[in-house]
Amino acid sequence: MNVTTNDNLRSTIALAALHNVMDPEIGLNIVDLGLIYQLDFDDPGMKLYCTMTLTTQFCPMGESITDAAKEVLHDAFPEYETIINLTFDPPWRHDRISEEGKNFLNL
Amino acid sequence: MFPPIGNNTSSTTTSYKVVLPFYIYAALMFLSATTFLVLKTNDITKHYFQPYTLAITHMMALGWGTMIILGASHQLVPVLIEGRLFSNGLAYASFVLAATGIPMLIYGFFSFDMGWPAQCGGELIITAIICFLMNIGISIIKSKTESVHAIFVFTASVWLLLTALIGLLLIYNFQYHFLPDDSIEYLPLHAHLGVAGWFLLLIIGVGSRLIPMFLISKYSNVSILWWIYSLINAGLITFIIIFLNNLRRQFFSIPILLITTGVLLFACYCYRGYKERIRKKVDEQMKMSLLAVIMMILPIIFLVFIILLLLITSSENINLIIAYGFVIFFGWITAIILGMTFKTLPFIIWNKVYHHLAGKHKTPNPKDLFSAGVFKWMSLSFIAGFALFVCAVLLKIPFILKPAVFLLLITAFLYNWNVLKLLLHKPVLL
Repeated sequence: MNVTTNDNLRSTIALAALHNVMDPEIGLNIVDLGLIYQLDFDDPGMKLYCTMTLTTQFCPMGESITDAAKEVLHDAFPEYETIINLTFDPPWRHDRISEEGKNFLNL
Repeated sequence: MFPPIGNNTSSTTTSYKVVLPFYIYAALMFLSATTFLVLKTNDITKHYFQPYTLAITHMMALGWGTMIILGASHQLVPVLIEGRLFSNGLAYASFVLAATGIPMLIYGFFSFDMGWPAQCGGELIITAIICFLMNIGISIIKSKTESVHAIFVFTASVWLLLTALIGLLLIYNFQYHFLPDDSIEYLPLHAHLGVAGWFLLLIIGVGSRLIPMFLISKYSNVSILWWIYSLINAGLITFIIIFLNNLRRQFFSIPILLITTGVLLFACYCYRGYKERIRKKVDEQMKMSLLAVIMMILPIIFLVFIILLLLITSSENINLIIAYGFVIFFGWITAIILGMTFKTLPFIIWNKVYHHLAGKHKTPNPKDLFSAGVFKWMSLSFIAGFALFVCAVLLKIPFILKPAVFLLLITAFLYNWNVLKLLLHKPVLL
């Protein structure tokens, strides 16, 4: 798991919340799957930027996953406006999966 | 550092209301086709150009294969081009026109009356295809993303239109005899443009995206896909030239070679996708889809034998031709639909039922929305029914025909059961 952030403490809370969002096809949460790239807190602007990806650009569940990520981040930080930046640059690679995720997937 | 995609997280999901009618119609048509197969078992093994064979073939080709592909394409093409479907209205129109036209055409074949019901049915189907073609074409043009898969779908749809136009000409030719030969003489042209141009091209185009995606494989090779695209289209064009110019039968080896190379390249593509998959455990639906890829080779083998026998004996082997048609429509086309329905439909239903709950509650996964046990029995009855039928026809063992078609009827019943279970799914929070 390799998430860039400008606030380690609040990022831990955000990642704990994102643990509840599953990729329904794989059955693993998006944090252990390594879909979260970056979490940035913009305190003056009261914005929380979450840069994330999907396992494939053509993921049929992409919209559900990003909506769910936005929902849990909003619940964790209701005073912040959550903005999801979906990116495929760099594309997701399986080496981003955490050790827990690898155990779950028997990799 | 991480450039966002064009429209960021804007929706490319087509409404389930557009897609589900196609799935429901196809499921019922599969059940109807297998029911007629049971009722008319002896008739359909007599000759390929007879009312019940033509009717059941068109139930399978149009009502089952084409309808489910049209439905799935309305869902998949926007995802492939990262855009939106141009018009839901055109999609509804496409469904209503095809859903009305198909039974009329089938009635025409059953009664072997190529009068107004068959003619009107054919015209409605062609209008439905034009609506689909416009919808997909404009969606692709409006999108900024070039997708080889979407080009496969669009080109396949053009071949479908051409197939349907030729089919309609043949229906009119029954009544008005304006073509130089009888309609039966043009049947190979109509059938092969439909099978290779529409089904093969489309299944490869969509399968090359879905199979690696559902295997969670990172394998992708666009240049191989362009080669496959070129080989199959070149094969089809060569076939048309040879057929229309009445060239010697030996020349048919050219399109067969071109298309076979395309199919083998696709099989290699799927194999690479399979080898490079991240999730090692392959689910039952994907096993069925991969079996379908292997089954794509069967019609080619049968076709080679049909042509060889024609060259050697100068007469058609009717049983081989019936088995050839069977391995196409009840073989790889049905196998890929059986597998892919339970990869795509659960997602559509999951999005319909649970999208608004995602992240708020723990929800079941898409694979939990249908019965895995029923799927397994469906797969077993399909494989057994398919193998028995082919053996019965090729080896001329009539007494195993009935058990074979009953097994296929069971397959259709179990398929419908699971589709119904998905459609009636109510939210369950874990």
